[in-house]
Amino acid sequence: MELTSKDYKKSARKAIGDPVLQSALTGLQGRLGPATATLYKNLPEGPGLRNMAYQYRRKAVDNLDVMLTTLAENIRKQGGEVHFAPTARDAVDICLDIAAGNNVKKVVKGKSMVTEELGLNRALMDKGIEVNETDLGEYIIQLAGEKPSHIVAPAIHKTRKEIGRLFSEKLGTPYTDDPPTLTWDARQALRKKFMEADMGISGCNLACAETGHITTVSNEGNIRMSTTLPRVHVAFMGMERIVANLEEHQAILRLMSMGAAAQQIGGYVSYIGGPAAPDHVDGPRAFHLVIVDNGRSRILADDEFREMLCCIRCGACLNVCPVYGKVGGHTYGSAYTGPVGAVITPLLGGINEAGDLCQGETLCGACRQACPLQLNLPRMLLALRSKLSQGDPKWNVKPKSRWEKLLFNGWNFINTHRRVYDASLAIGRVIQKIMPKSEQMLTKLPYPFNGWTQSRDMKPLAAKTFMEQWKEKKEGRS
Amino acid sequence: MDMEKEFIKTIQTALNRPETKVPDDLFTTTPSPEEVTLLEKIRTRTDPERQPLIEVLRRVVPGLHMDLHVEESIQDVARGIEKLILEKKPEWGTKKSVVCWDHPLIKELKLTDLPNLKGIDVYTTSMAADSPRRREEIRKEVQDSFIGITSADYCVAATATLAMKTRPGHARSVSLVPSIHVAVVRQVDILADLRELYTLLKWDEKERKEGLTNNLSLVSGPSKTGDIELVMVHGAHGPRELHLFVIP
Repeated sequence: MELTSKDYKKSARKAIGDPVLQSALTGLQGRLGPATATLYKNLPEGPGLRNMAYQYRRKAVDNLDVMLTTLAENIRKQGGEVHFAPTARDAVDICLDIAAGNNVKKVVKGKSMVTEELGLNRALMDKGIEVNETDLGEYIIQLAGEKPSHIVAPAIHKTRKEIGRLFSEKLGTPYTDDPPTLTWDARQALRKKFMEADMGISGCNLACAETGHITTVSNEGNIRMSTTLPRVHVAFMGMERIVANLEEHQAILRLMSMGAAAQQIGGYVSYIGGPAAPDHVDGPRAFHLVIVDNGRSRILADDEFREMLCCIRCGACLNVCPVYGKVGGHTYGSAYTGPVGAVITPLLGGINEAGDLCQGETLCGACRQACPLQLNLPRMLLALRSKLSQGDPKWNVKPKSRWEKLLFNGWNFINTHRRVYDASLAIGRVIQKIMPKSEQMLTKLPYPFNGWTQSRDMKPLAAKTFMEQWKEKKEGRS
Repeated sequence: MDMEKEFIKTIQTALNRPETKVPDDLFTTTPSPEEVTLLEKIRTRTDPERQPLIEVLRRVVPGLHMDLHVEESIQDVARGIEKLILEKKPEWGTKKSVVCWDHPLIKELKLTDLPNLKGIDVYTTSMAADSPRRREEIRKEVQDSFIGITSADYCVAATATLAMKTRPGHARSVSLVPSIHVAVVRQVDILADLRELYTLLKWDEKERKEGLTNNLSLVSGPSKTGDIELVMVHGAHGPRELHLFVIP
């Protein structure tokens, strides 16, 4: 997985200083967050549906072997082909083989997180295949050469003026900053791409094992276009994105639509179970499903994190997270952003490599409330932090900082030894006299404590502790 | 195949099989008592009982940017569609043509008999036998048409959702590629909510036998996007307008 999570702090600082991004994020969270919460409150089945939905997902994940073999069997019966890819490399190779075997020159894609994770676009383009993202947001960032910054609204960080300039430069259309006109420009450019494409690539929101279908959800209709018009359809699914029954599928699909875009149901939902039959007048002549592990089986094996495989990637947690609301999506350094990214990115891409992500979150619990399945993200963030601090050979985690550990041991010692504590206070009071101050606050501590004052001022130590004052008062009275 | 075996084996190891057993009730094989009741309710629903559902539809469609036309007869629908064909402008060129599903209800419209529509091509997505040439022809006709006319298996009132299975003659692209999608449904095919739809799809004998088909599309409103500064725009890639005609 391609990660730029190491630049977390630097990217976060940049994002916080960007007024355009800040207002976009505030707008997004102000609209979607509360709207989703209202829909949860008015569920016809009552709030219990969310608990049930978690149970459905958990059952599927706990029996993933049966789920996947049932799905594969049913799709094959319907004439589709199913491929299993243990690694990202395998998944990409399978797709390249299908492309080569079908003489594919042009590809249209519906938005898919897992293909972002696999780095599929680059691999296809390296083979000389033209790849067009077709979700409007994804198309914009593909033209701009950027990365998605929100699971559902990938181009939320771009203004209409920026998009106007981008389109007039890349598409040769007259400059405008009018969203309907810009949308029409993209509609026109992409319509041609849909018609010409040999292969359509989609993700899979949630498969249904008993019927043998994957589902795709969109509001633009781009995924229906990508999976109806080209002669070959290749769908990628993370191996955990499955549920047993149609009735369970229905409940989760509705909750996902609420979490993703505050809708009762997405505008276009397609159940796809295979290629077009010989007597069907349209639809792809070949259908391939690529089921991807790429690190998920390791999460499955760990009781602490298995819950994360129930996630349906709706992005509801992004719309309420106070950290995401400030640092934006790019800071997370992978396709998965926000609270979900802070847990899944380290688990898929390396806990040390993406260590800053879980430490950046506040553990406020807003994500858990917003999650349609009420996944306990704060618990998993804490578990990741614990691995970073203690190390874990099972996850190849090295303890993040020996110094930090030493420091906390020292802190522990000072606080459990009264005399040492008093002496440290006395020394501290002397040292702080020469520290830089502003408005009675310390603005800069010396190394190794300088990190603490990097983004906040600190109150100086009081001249006397409470205990000392108490003692004096008592003595004064007696 | 080896890769597949390996893949499933890795999962089984992670799940600690065979120590952890596969539960017996992973997949449902009989409907719950509530589902049986619901099925009965749908089957025995009378026309007067369906009127409130049409009122629900009326309330829901404006929010989804859909147009609802409740008509008395198929002739009224034909006149309504004729009006759309005459009034609306084609998006991609100047020529007006229309494409229809090969479907009994849509055939009843007899659009080609309407004198005002003389000179306007009305295509039907019918194919006698597996023919790549005919398929290519249909593709071009769909692409050229500015209005696509379909029916639907069901229409869900609470969410204004059209459920369309794929069958010969029912081209998927007719509800997708033309700028305006017109759907004609009978009142008997209106359901109250998604739960009713899924209960039918799952347990109704006829539905079970047919399965979901290779492609079941649920469509709630025309194509839309909010990807530029969250401004809602209709007609991102699919149809810009969706007109739903309901007849007794």
